[in-house]
Amino acid sequence: MSSMSTVTGTRAIVTGRRAPDREVAAPSGARRRIFGIITAVVATILIVVYLSPIIWLVLTSFKDRLDIFSSAPTVFFTPTLDNYVEAFVKKGFTDNLFNSAIVGVISTVVALVVGVPAAYSLSRVSRGEGFMMALLAARLLPAMVLAVPLFVLASSLGLRDTYFALIAAHLTFALPFTVWMMRGFFLAVPNSLDEAARLDGCGEWRTFLQVILPIVRPGLAATAIFCLINSWNEFLFALVLTGRHTETLPVAIPSLITPIGTSWGQVAAVGTVTILPVLIVAFIVQKHIVTGMTGGAISAE
Amino acid sequence: MNTSATAERPPQVSAPRRRPRGLDSRQRWTRIGMQAPSLVILLVVLAFPLVYSLSLSFQSYSPVDPEANGQWIGLGNYARMFQDTQFGQAILVTIAYVVLAVALETVIGTAIGVWLSRLMRTRRLVTSFLLLPMIATPLVVGLMFSFGLNAQFGYMTDALQALGLVGEAGVLDSPAGAFAALVAMDVWEWTPFIALMVLAGLSAAPQAQIQAAQIDGCNTAQLYWHVMLPMIRPVIGVAILFRATEAIRQFDQVYILTGGGPGSATTVNDIFQYRVSFTAFDMSYGAALGIATFLVVAVLAWILFRFLGRKGAQ
Repeated sequence: MSSMSTVTGTRAIVTGRRAPDREVAAPSGARRRIFGIITAVVATILIVVYLSPIIWLVLTSFKDRLDIFSSAPTVFFTPTLDNYVEAFVKKGFTDNLFNSAIVGVISTVVALVVGVPAAYSLSRVSRGEGFMMALLAARLLPAMVLAVPLFVLASSLGLRDTYFALIAAHLTFALPFTVWMMRGFFLAVPNSLDEAARLDGCGEWRTFLQVILPIVRPGLAATAIFCLINSWNEFLFALVLTGRHTETLPVAIPSLITPIGTSWGQVAAVGTVTILPVLIVAFIVQKHIVTGMTGGAISAE
Repeated sequence: MNTSATAERPPQVSAPRRRPRGLDSRQRWTRIGMQAPSLVILLVVLAFPLVYSLSLSFQSYSPVDPEANGQWIGLGNYARMFQDTQFGQAILVTIAYVVLAVALETVIGTAIGVWLSRLMRTRRLVTSFLLLPMIATPLVVGLMFSFGLNAQFGYMTDALQALGLVGEAGVLDSPAGAFAALVAMDVWEWTPFIALMVLAGLSAAPQAQIQAAQIDGCNTAQLYWHVMLPMIRPVIGVAILFRATEAIRQFDQVYILTGGGPGSATTVNDIFQYRVSFTAFDMSYGAALGIATFLVVAVLAWILFRFLGRKGAQ
């Protein structure tokens, strides 16, 4: 009872004059608001705890060696950029960053340029199921199943440690994903639009490029973003197909961890740089991510 | 957040809507022009390697063993699987891992999904936060837990030691601890996926029945348990199968967090296969293991597809 009055008293101070009147009028309403505030605080704490692995990684990347190994977990410390300078300026992780970007962009562009017309075409015919089933199977294919033959083939063709091999490997998931997703978006565009365009004298390609494609632009963005992220995050193909010249960021990270003398600050810095672009993009275009994450099962408005 | 409709995309295109018009040859060529590049690329990067892998699985081939130079040994690799106790162990670990992780994700995820559906103003923000672990680079997710669980400076280790749950050596040092860490990591990363699916299912649930139940005097708990949960059961089923097909091929996070150890406590199927193919370079046996895994995933996918098909028909 006493704690209750303390809380309402605080609230009266915080919210000024209006609050007491309402409390007299509707005490249960006040209780509900306090309950709401408590819930919000608890929820905030829970979310911070939930995201603590990410927060901890980012914090560690700004710590020097002493702060990392201090006996008590430190949240307050003097931030330093040394780890970033060391990893990206002196140790050449910029090359890995560049490799990741180049593979991501090229595989996404190829997947879109090649896959989007196919998706449109498949959305406009009745006999597309066989192809679509094959695409679904391709999407469910474990990467390990492909890693073995791709490694053997790339080795015997002398293509290991080339961008070409890794981009080809990334197309094995980017292209089926693009066709699968985009077909869904094209199916949502009524066929009558195609008919109208055709009556106006548009050819098939012009109908596709100038009438239908602009309509599905949001879908296109979602697909592109997801292809980019998937390629950026991919690890196994990059692990077995790249070498010194084409190593992407995720592959470079494990090589930093050694049984003795691991520079954890630098590992954290590289890890942070790897996830930060993805997290920022995910935060900005949340609804696209939801669509892509669930394979189009959930379409955000 | 605004995931409104669970528009499960029907796998079959409703045929009558697409007009069966006679294609003149120009249209047919356009169609070929649109589809052919995709087909060619998929044949080269996907179909050919798969067939190659299949043929490899009937051979004995290793780039580091001059005696294993690609001679045909029939079903030898597949027969070897059944006698390989390490493989059997990996399968058991994988099954335990998938069942435990997905079960926990389903229970917690459903609860969070229900909670999200009751949030109004903050739903979008909370969803954004929940998305982050799913979208973060899997390898870095493993790295995060490697940091948190580090025996010397990990804050999770500190917390667990304060609770008296682990000793000086840390969590990853014991088989049970490492396995639990792996499950916990998967739950951390993928519970939001189930939650999002549940949220979508709830927002697409028919309102009339819910209102009818309310008029009949259902309280909130009854409403969720007896009315809404059965409605979203198909969505949960799809989500579970999605997760299962992905958890089976878990690799990145395990690779960096435990590397399969200690011993073989966390050697899941894909870690085992990686060792066979890329540490021992026994490519043909690795190919056979891969084909076998794919068959299992394909069966799961087939069940998933039937789920989706039934939903589409409704």
